[in-house]
Amino acid sequence: MAVAYSLPSDVSPATVTNTRSLLRIIALALISGAAIASRLFAVINFESIIHEFDPWFNYRATRVLASEGFYEFWNWFDPTAWYPLGRVVGGTIYPGLMATSGVIYNVLHALHLPVDIRNICVLLAPGFSALTAWSTYMFTKEMKDESAGLLAAAFIGIVPGYISRSVAGSYDNEAIAIFLLMFTFFCWIKALKTGSALFGTLAALFYFYMVAAWGGYAFITNMIPLHSLALILMGRYSSRLYVAYSSWYAIGTLASMQVPFVGFQPVRTSEHMAALGVFGLLQIVAFAELVRTHVSSKQFQSLLYASVIGMGILGAGAIIGLTYKGWIAPWTGRFYSLWDTGYAKIHIPIIASVSEHQPTAWPSFFMDLHSLVFLFPAGVVMCFRQLRDEHVFVIIYAVVASYFAGVMVRLMLTLTPVVCVAAAIAFSSLLDTYIEPTEPDVADDSSGKIAETAPAVDAASSGSSTAVSASSSTAKKTKKAPTAPPSVSAVAAAMTPSKKGEKPRGIFGLDTRFIVLLNAVGMLLFFVLHCTWVTSTAYSSPSVVLASQNPDGSQHIIDDFREAYYWLRQNTPENSVVMSWWDYGYQIAGMADRATLVDNNTWNNTHIATVGKAMSSSEEVAYPILRKHDVDYVLIIFGGLLGYSGDDINKFLWMVRIAQGVWPDEIQEPNYFTPKGEYKVDDMASPTMKNSLMYKMSYYRFPELFGTSQAIDRVRGQQIPKAGTTLDYLDEAFTSENWIVRIYQVKKEDILGRDLKSANAFAQGKKRKRTKPPVRRKATV
Amino acid sequence: MLLLAVLAACLLPLCLASSDSDYAKLKQLAAAGNGLIKLDEHSYNILTAPNRNWSATVQFTALDNKRRCTPCRDFDPSFNTVAKAWSTVPAPERDSHFFGTLDFDNGMATFQKLGIQSAPIVRIFPATDGPRRPASGVTTPISYDLTYGYEPGPLAEQLSKYTPVPIPYKAPFDWGRVGTFAAAALVLVTTLRFISPVLRSRWTWAIGTVLTCLVMTSGHMFVRIRGMPMSGPNGQWIAPGFQNQFGQEVQVVAMMYGLLALAFFMLTTVIPYQTSPQRQRVQVYLWSFVIFIMFSVLVSCFRVKNRGYPFRLFL
Repeated sequence: MAVAYSLPSDVSPATVTNTRSLLRIIALALISGAAIASRLFAVINFESIIHEFDPWFNYRATRVLASEGFYEFWNWFDPTAWYPLGRVVGGTIYPGLMATSGVIYNVLHALHLPVDIRNICVLLAPGFSALTAWSTYMFTKEMKDESAGLLAAAFIGIVPGYISRSVAGSYDNEAIAIFLLMFTFFCWIKALKTGSALFGTLAALFYFYMVAAWGGYAFITNMIPLHSLALILMGRYSSRLYVAYSSWYAIGTLASMQVPFVGFQPVRTSEHMAALGVFGLLQIVAFAELVRTHVSSKQFQSLLYASVIGMGILGAGAIIGLTYKGWIAPWTGRFYSLWDTGYAKIHIPIIASVSEHQPTAWPSFFMDLHSLVFLFPAGVVMCFRQLRDEHVFVIIYAVVASYFAGVMVRLMLTLTPVVCVAAAIAFSSLLDTYIEPTEPDVADDSSGKIAETAPAVDAASSGSSTAVSASSSTAKKTKKAPTAPPSVSAVAAAMTPSKKGEKPRGIFGLDTRFIVLLNAVGMLLFFVLHCTWVTSTAYSSPSVVLASQNPDGSQHIIDDFREAYYWLRQNTPENSVVMSWWDYGYQIAGMADRATLVDNNTWNNTHIATVGKAMSSSEEVAYPILRKHDVDYVLIIFGGLLGYSGDDINKFLWMVRIAQGVWPDEIQEPNYFTPKGEYKVDDMASPTMKNSLMYKMSYYRFPELFGTSQAIDRVRGQQIPKAGTTLDYLDEAFTSENWIVRIYQVKKEDILGRDLKSANAFAQGKKRKRTKPPVRRKATV
Repeated sequence: MLLLAVLAACLLPLCLASSDSDYAKLKQLAAAGNGLIKLDEHSYNILTAPNRNWSATVQFTALDNKRRCTPCRDFDPSFNTVAKAWSTVPAPERDSHFFGTLDFDNGMATFQKLGIQSAPIVRIFPATDGPRRPASGVTTPISYDLTYGYEPGPLAEQLSKYTPVPIPYKAPFDWGRVGTFAAAALVLVTTLRFISPVLRSRWTWAIGTVLTCLVMTSGHMFVRIRGMPMSGPNGQWIAPGFQNQFGQEVQVVAMMYGLLALAFFMLTTVIPYQTSPQRQRVQVYLWSFVIFIMFSVLVSCFRVKNRGYPFRLFL
């Protein structure tokens, strides 16, 4: 057989194997390095700081864990959150993340490495991303081979879809959860392939870790049963499946019930019923198989089949019946809203209000996955070509995850691993085909020598050492093709699952190889450039600190949030209560150390609606609410001066909606729109809007800033009326440098017993009789 | 708003005069219209008279074809169904709440007075007099929030808050759907013999899987959930903005992804089986070229969506 280029033939097989494993280790080490390094943009561009919102709570909890020990942390009751209700922290969190950092902290301190707990928290996500790359390598290795595994590891190491949730400082559950997800799946595949109870148990243990770490564990809880069910339906039941599933389910479920926040959910809620149902079905099928091997009578077997189906239906009916009776809780709203996409908006606005729960438009997919997004279907098709048991898993994963990612931006995170795996399978098949030096024979079918040395070929430079040789085995025996139109027969040959020695396959010539490989390597380079650009510009902002550019191109840091939080910490009594919208609850608790009414753990809708009502009603209505909740300060975010679009006026409609859900008589969303149905803050704004506490606080004294010229809100691009708003029940306490954070102090009741409005009017009328016309608005309500 | 309504009513002293005869007239109109009053200027003023002891739900719409209001025509049947459902309520309750439709062409002046610029709009006028006057004393019209959707179900549910008894609306049993289902199942069972090879073929499933993945990653769910139109108002098919897209983009982007995936599939699995070197070479160059061009097109599309994107290929 001809070869397109010759390979050194004097290398011993042992050398080849050793070189291969050395290259593999080096490649993995480099991938880990790249994965960690690319996540450090956030630290380099800004500083070592905890990002966003939820991480601030995790950080605070971890600090408690590190300083006071695990038992204190476990029994921690936080009286400052959800004032005046308080929060039992130990029973309402997934403790996996904090426990992980706590262990790392204690180990490092035992080794006399005095690392600050903050740095551990900041760098935890990059560290675990290296582990994710490794577990993806292991997973993909089971799907195809090591070279595909290395490619998959390289992809997931730098793909923005995963970096978006795991940059340094993004100290959130997802930081460790994706590693656990991939490793649990790897253990499951391994258990399924080998029928080993050991790997089944390992899968269960990592499942337990996952349950302890992230609410998204329900994804595993349903993926593995779905895979098993598909295998049973395909007639691929085997004792390996039985052992793997039973060991995973029994141990995994018992273990997961040890997490207090999960408790008895695995046997009481619908999310977990699929796993239980498949477990039952598997027992029935196993029993039937057992009987079948021992009984020969044909009638008995058909009877058996009928009874298996009957029992399956009976079991399903029992689960449904129990759900109706209320023994099994129906799907929770969060889960249900994935299927019925209009559900959340109507019934649970608080879920619909979160920006990461919005559906995903295609640019987000391309931004997060780049070229992998179209390699992914090609990889899925290649899984169909072989269709071993583990390929079924990738296929199901691909369908389910791409649907979920389409429904919610946030679930892009679960899609990313399977995209990397499938794309790596496709890409490495391409490289295998075009690097393989053997050329098929055109005319004669003499069985030539196979290039045994093919594995020596590699492209280690791109992190993709391509050890071939699935293809060489198929090219081994060559037989004359039947006479058919060549292209048709080629497609047909590709479609039929590869059996040994069916048709010759291979590439002729060097130029063809060259052009394809050039194209491929170019695409990889572009991918790397894209990932670096996206990571450095889009995903590395801490959102606590904002950055803008000066006219000369240098970076200008906007640090309003911390300025305001530190002001609160240093200038207010320690027991004061701060009211803000729930987004900022964790940050206030973490940075300002003050009690908050509501925070990002949105467990009590009524409490949030109360805050929403206070913000969206007039001062007179809001004041009693504020006083009853002991609120001393009200904190709002206002972006109008700077053009910061994530401010409270833009979130205001959600406050209205959530409040409306609880008080439909008092708060009505249409009242906040102009008669034309527009959302305006200028002269045209509806009276309800103009009188709402949020509007007044946002634009209080705002026009004064512009002197004689017209005040313009830069976010909404609207002109703010010159007259400005007046506040009678609140005092402006602090406004940050760029006006992003504004803090108001709630006045105490008037000492003379007047209502504050008339007291104010009296005071003002006395002072400024001549400069100002008498009070424009009398207390009419 | 209230001011305008009052003003409008004051201009027509007629309706203040004889409330009883007006009420009888409204009842008669409602009975004639199957629970729904087709309003004009005059009857609208009667219905929303300032001293009414009844409440009313009024739909402001523009159904005429020349007004080109598609949402109006979408919403109208739902409103009519709910009004009809209301007409089945026992007479005492039924006659204390009315449903009316005011078309733009019948009540231009009213539309102008109320400053209504868009349609459809549903407003609920609470009773201002008598036992059904709201306890809070707020009698300004309440706008129904159309973000609940145009379906009769949520409309009835929301309106029931303002009617004396809940609107007895039940979603009609969807015989068409059940019939289609049954027919499909029947066809499936009868042809199972013939189509089972198709169903059992892995490539049927492969095509289904790949199509699902392609469509989902092209933002199909975004278009469905947000109810995005197929294309923009002036024929543009790319929606401006990063987190935004039209229905047509799903098709175009899915096709590009599909073509690129196909090119990779051809290069990897089909072309190696080609036995003629010349033919194979042509195909390799062809598909490589396809990848290059399609990828360039894709990147340039992405540049349109994301203005700050610094990279480009040949386009």
